[in-house]
Amino acid sequence: MSYDAAFERLPINACFDLKGTESALVEWIGAEVLPDFPAEANCCRKADGVSLEHVGPRHWLLQADIDREDDLNGALRPHEAPAEVSIVRISDTMTTFRITGTDAAHVLAIGCPLDLHEAAFPEDAVSFTEFFGQTALARHCVGGFDVSVEQSFGDMMEDYLKRALR
Amino acid sequence: MMLIPCPFCGHRNESEFTYGGPVKPDRPDPNATSDEDWVEYLTTVPNPFGPVQERWWHARGCGTWLTIWRDTRTHDIVEGPSDAE
Ligand SMILES: [Zn+2]
Repeated sequence: MSYDAAFERLPINACFDLKGTESALVEWIGAEVLPDFPAEANCCRKADGVSLEHVGPRHWLLQADIDREDDLNGALRPHEAPAEVSIVRISDTMTTFRITGTDAAHVLAIGCPLDLHEAAFPEDAVSFTEFFGQTALARHCVGGFDVSVEQSFGDMMEDYLKRALR
Repeated sequence: MMLIPCPFCGHRNESEFTYGGPVKPDRPDPNATSDEDWVEYLTTVPNPFGPVQERWWHARGCGTWLTIWRDTRTHDIVEGPSDAE
């Protein structure tokens, strides 16, 4: 069958992997740089073009457009961070596919076991899961979903998605 | 298919998890235990016909390790995780 959906491979984002307690991270980075910390699991908060995603216990991802990377790197100072926190720039380790259209959720469901219904995966949800057997980060975008996988699986994922949509 | 309760994420498909094996008894002091008990500890894997306590890692998820009781006859998870690490 064919789906009413399309996909595109997005340019990379600025992405930083943050580990540590909220208080330790705020103390190091400064509250003015970050959106509010999402208290709920697998949830994101956005402010000023920056998205802070709560993806695991004391584990967060900070994402923004790639042209913000240098600014954010300057504010986060990964290499000088104290022992209580870990900050790693991972922008070029992930590649993101944007899947949009009426059937976007059906296309995702081919390779992803997440319950994507609004009640289980609301607008501000973000979660690691799997996509065609690989670890993937899933979240909403306008009209569909963004799914990020490790960069080295990018071409393989593109093949899967082409097959799914043909 | 099993839905495994993750303390961070809630119920998730078993395919997101990696099996960590059954929970073994505490390691006895090899100098204070009999050879028989020591060999038993080293070589016998818990494999009951019924509930078994086991570890799972939410590897393609939030990264949490958790402990559940799973009934080997039905795959029912008869007791969810009390730990979150
Ligand atoms: Zn989890």
